[in-house]
Amino acid sequence: MDIDDHEITIEELEMRYTTSVTKGLTSSKAAEVLERDGPNELLPPKGTPEYVKFARQLAGGLQCLMWVAAVICFIAFGIEFSRGTLGCFDDLYLAITLITVVVVTGCFGYYQEFKSTNIIASFKNLVPQQALVIRDGQKNQINAMDLVVGDLVEIKGGDRVPADIRIIFAQGCKVDNSSLTGESEPQSKTPECTHENPLETKNIAFFSTTCLEGVATGTVINTGDRTIIGRIASLASGVGNEKTPIAIEIEHFVDIIAGLAIFFGFTFFVVAMFIGYAFLEAMIFFMAIVVAYVPEGLLATVTVCLSLTAKRLARKNCVVKNLEAVETLGSTSVICSDKTGTLTQNRMTVAHLWFDNVIHAADTTEDQSGQSFDQSSETWRSLARVAGLCNRAIFKPNQESLPIPRRIVVGDASETALLKFTELAIGNMMEYRERFKKVVEVPFNSTNKFQLSVHELEDPMDLRYLLVMKGAPERILERCSTILIKGQEMPLDEQWREAFQTAYMDLGSLGERVLGFCHIYLNENEFPRGYKFDSDEMNFTTSGLCFAGLISMIDPPRATVPDAVMKCRTAGIRVVMVTGDHPITARAIAANVGIITEGSETVEDIATRKRIPVEQVNRRDARACVISGGQLKDMSSEELDEALRSHPEMVFARTSPQQKLIIVESCQRLGSIVAVTGDGVNDSPALKKADIGIAMGIAGSDAAKNAADMILLDDNFASIVTGVEQGRLIFDNLKKSIAYTLTKNIPELTPYLIYITVSVPLPLGCITILMIELATDIFPSVSLAYEKAESDIMHLKPRNPRKDRLVNESLAAYSYFQIGAIQSFAGFTDYFTAMAQEGWYPLLCVGLRSHWENVHLQDLQDSYGQEWTYAQRLYQQYTCYTVFFISIEICQIADVLIRKTRRLSIFQQGFFRSVDVDCMEQMSLTPYIQSYTPCYASGQWWFVPIPYGILIFVYDEIRKLGVRRHPGSWWDQELYY
Amino acid sequence: MYERVDTGVKEPYFWNPRTHEFLGRTASSWGLILLFYLVFYIFLGGMFVLTMYVMLLTLDDYKPTYQDRLVTPGMMIRPRGEAMEILYNTKDTESFDIYAQTLNNFLESYNNSLQVQNNDECPPDNYFIQEDSGEVRNNPKRSCQFNRSTLEECSGITDRTYGYQKGQPCVLIKLNRVIGMLPGKDGQSPYVTCGAKKEDSDAIGELAYYPPNGTFNLMYFPYYGKKAQLNYSQPLVAVKFLNISLNTDVNVECKINSNTLKTGGERDKFAGRVSFKLRITSPKN
Repeated sequence: MDIDDHEITIEELEMRYTTSVTKGLTSSKAAEVLERDGPNELLPPKGTPEYVKFARQLAGGLQCLMWVAAVICFIAFGIEFSRGTLGCFDDLYLAITLITVVVVTGCFGYYQEFKSTNIIASFKNLVPQQALVIRDGQKNQINAMDLVVGDLVEIKGGDRVPADIRIIFAQGCKVDNSSLTGESEPQSKTPECTHENPLETKNIAFFSTTCLEGVATGTVINTGDRTIIGRIASLASGVGNEKTPIAIEIEHFVDIIAGLAIFFGFTFFVVAMFIGYAFLEAMIFFMAIVVAYVPEGLLATVTVCLSLTAKRLARKNCVVKNLEAVETLGSTSVICSDKTGTLTQNRMTVAHLWFDNVIHAADTTEDQSGQSFDQSSETWRSLARVAGLCNRAIFKPNQESLPIPRRIVVGDASETALLKFTELAIGNMMEYRERFKKVVEVPFNSTNKFQLSVHELEDPMDLRYLLVMKGAPERILERCSTILIKGQEMPLDEQWREAFQTAYMDLGSLGERVLGFCHIYLNENEFPRGYKFDSDEMNFTTSGLCFAGLISMIDPPRATVPDAVMKCRTAGIRVVMVTGDHPITARAIAANVGIITEGSETVEDIATRKRIPVEQVNRRDARACVISGGQLKDMSSEELDEALRSHPEMVFARTSPQQKLIIVESCQRLGSIVAVTGDGVNDSPALKKADIGIAMGIAGSDAAKNAADMILLDDNFASIVTGVEQGRLIFDNLKKSIAYTLTKNIPELTPYLIYITVSVPLPLGCITILMIELATDIFPSVSLAYEKAESDIMHLKPRNPRKDRLVNESLAAYSYFQIGAIQSFAGFTDYFTAMAQEGWYPLLCVGLRSHWENVHLQDLQDSYGQEWTYAQRLYQQYTCYTVFFISIEICQIADVLIRKTRRLSIFQQGFFRSVDVDCMEQMSLTPYIQSYTPCYASGQWWFVPIPYGILIFVYDEIRKLGVRRHPGSWWDQELYY
Repeated sequence: MYERVDTGVKEPYFWNPRTHEFLGRTASSWGLILLFYLVFYIFLGGMFVLTMYVMLLTLDDYKPTYQDRLVTPGMMIRPRGEAMEILYNTKDTESFDIYAQTLNNFLESYNNSLQVQNNDECPPDNYFIQEDSGEVRNNPKRSCQFNRSTLEECSGITDRTYGYQKGQPCVLIKLNRVIGMLPGKDGQSPYVTCGAKKEDSDAIGELAYYPPNGTFNLMYFPYYGKKAQLNYSQPLVAVKFLNISLNTDVNVECKINSNTLKTGGERDKFAGRVSFKLRITSPKN
């Protein structure tokens, strides 16, 4: 960071920005600078232009093939038209249909993308921020966007810092840097330069951080994208976005399909040329084969399936920005989770109390549903009184209707915790404090490490003053001479000191922040009413106090998290905690939520247990490992990889944003699919780098939300687990959907192959194929997305992205060469039946093509000696299209039933789910569509393919039975997809 | 719990000498899978052949199951030329010889001698019904004589060039055979009328029909199919263009007039009618 504004003197600063620290800029100068620097706002990362996004939707692999097919159609039509040998307008219709298909699916994909972008836009804070600025010596409230470098601004508790500011004057000013660093520990701001690093020094407050309390005045030194936060945000856009696993899968699959389509098309083009067809005819064959082989509806199906799941996830508080991210969650093998806010509740809460020489556990649950401790002791009453009175935090007004833990408090985290705790324990604290009128107070500072206040007693007859004090336990203990046990003051002897030490250590080892509390009734004579207490001089007793107890606080884990972590573990997903917090706290929370399991030891634990030096411990014996940012800095990337590999339970504490990125990269090097959660701006590079970045909806900054692929609306780790489950389910279901979709490409393709090689009249036309692809089969294939899981998918390991492909060899072979083959036979059986019943025996059909298609031959003889005109034959050909279409549909109904499961019997899975509804829909849709195909098909042709449908069903049940009975056998390997 | 990374070494796919794998499979693996598919396809093929066989068994040998496509029979001309066009030059013998030759070949089976030998003389203006009596087939069925001589001027007996040389060409019109079709009722035979398409109405001139009135006599119907009625002689109507305009395209449309048949709609230009083009070139000298 090339900033030295914090090191120079105020005078130099005034010079540099031609401003004044008392009067601010002049209005004209401000306008001039605004003109030069532009408004003070973060520019959103440059998105891809809309037309490029749309064009991309139109230029995928399959789309390109369809463009080629459409062009061939146009050429064929053009040539036929110019020659005047136009039979019909089929080619033109086909070309138009193809283009429509590409454009419509393109629009659909674009719309989906557009919609998910819009979700993000809605998160943006639309309320313009205000800033109090001094210009020309006048205080003005202006829009923060209009701030310029050199402006003099005032901030007070509750404001967002409107730009990067050099503090000129501050009074008790504390800011929350969590939007920058992710840690909500308040930091005080003073005018002194305390560190050469601008990020560490106390005299700079950063844009977008929040001022918690106090007031400050400062000069703006950076605005807009030049602020620290702006630079981090632009750093994030520099990190390349990884392709999602599902995108890789689909690309892989589309490549294969496109390759095969071209291969088939070209082969038959050559064959047709060789047989003696004209070049134009051969080109049309090429086009027809491409149309028949390419699953036109597939991309739409995949998009719909993914968006259905995205919708389902949105209901469970996961908003997916990028549709493909849905599946990425399913293949996630490592989750790098933040601690604060994700695993924990992000609010300091009183966890334990020590009084009467016993550690009492307080209720830390979010909804106060837990057990409370025994509150009958007199000591407790004193302790609670100290905690309540020696506290500067106050509730914001008008929150009486909210439950106490949800109320907003002005004050730092520990005081907030104590306030809420006492409010819960003894009731209305505001009124309580009024009863004990505060006479004087000494705020906390880092040298004293205590805070005290003196109060009048509530009993107006008792004229003593009460001094209450809280602070670092050892400092408090130093000032005490007695200890309160069961309401009795006992001398604080060695035995009690030891008891105190044990309790302090115990609480500290839980990662909790411990505060000590004591009080004393001031001598009535020495300090009569009206005594002038001086907070600076401290002209009153501050030693020989009476120790009341310890209270420890922690940001407790969310109730649902341990369960969710457990689920991740059974699902083979590793949860790594990456936090900026202290290692001990991090470890305590990790142990609490199960990231470090019971009985797991770190290297240090083993060393302590065996009483040997750390170096002698075999690192592989330690399951758990806590690495702090400092240690991480000294590690090479190989060492980090090794550590990640050898310790299954990892916690990274005190890490910086850059280190988070390093950890993600290391996991990815080890072949994992990494999910990263984050909320601060500093997390955005890691969020981007991760395979799936998950931002927090409540605590998350806009930059984090922008960089993420998914947003957790409730900031809850447990929602991620739901996402994982849905992601895995959709992967399985997409497999089924694709298998279903691919199957019919074979019965669509074979008519052309037979037509070209055996020269029968064409059994199935291109437009009918498009009907199947885009009308009747879309609904059943989408319905498979609703299929429930076959087994407990959360007990399986995450899929290996290199081995478990979406479309594997056995899926393709089974769909194409087995089910597809049966469907083709069904189609041809029905086709030959329809031909024979109209008078054209199968053997006559063979080689009939050239006569059949001769426009001038109006008296072609059939097997019975009847003579047919061209139009009559064409009519018959359309009937064949219909018949073939019906056969495919009947078989596809059987197909959608068998695709419901890959392993279980359909009888185990149950017939009656949405799929069956869609079957009915298909059944009812078919005759409707059929009315568009030129011919009505006689009833009995509906029955001819049924045996084949039954065959498909029975055969697949046999396949599944074999797969279930003989896992690992040849049958399982070859036929399980 | 944690997966190690693949070594990343790419194994050759086409032929892997280490594992003896060809395209990812060993020889025995290929053998097994091919055997599986062989059995699978033999089964499927068997099923296909079986269903085809069953289907053929259900068919009637003498009459197709459905005839809904043939409600209106098509009409056709002889000679039909390339693309329904008759173009020739009266001075160029070769140009019309092919037409004459076609007609000769076509009419050969109508020679009186053959007709008398094979077919019966039937009472005209009545259907020649030969019903089967139940299961007992009344086969082979007889057919009625259609003697070439009934075509008179267009029979090719008197004029071997069928009038082509004189610029008075004959065109034979036939009605497509449809099994069981009854083209008229109340003893009224269907007849053919020809006319020019609008713009050529002046050019067509006078026409002569043989047999008289251009009728397809009812006695030639119904047709019983080529298996039952071996020597069926399809009735013909000849149209002779007596003074058609020379050196110009004349588009002619002939259609059937029947009290049972309808001409096809827009869709089929050859159902119950036929259109063709005539152009007779005759150098003026």
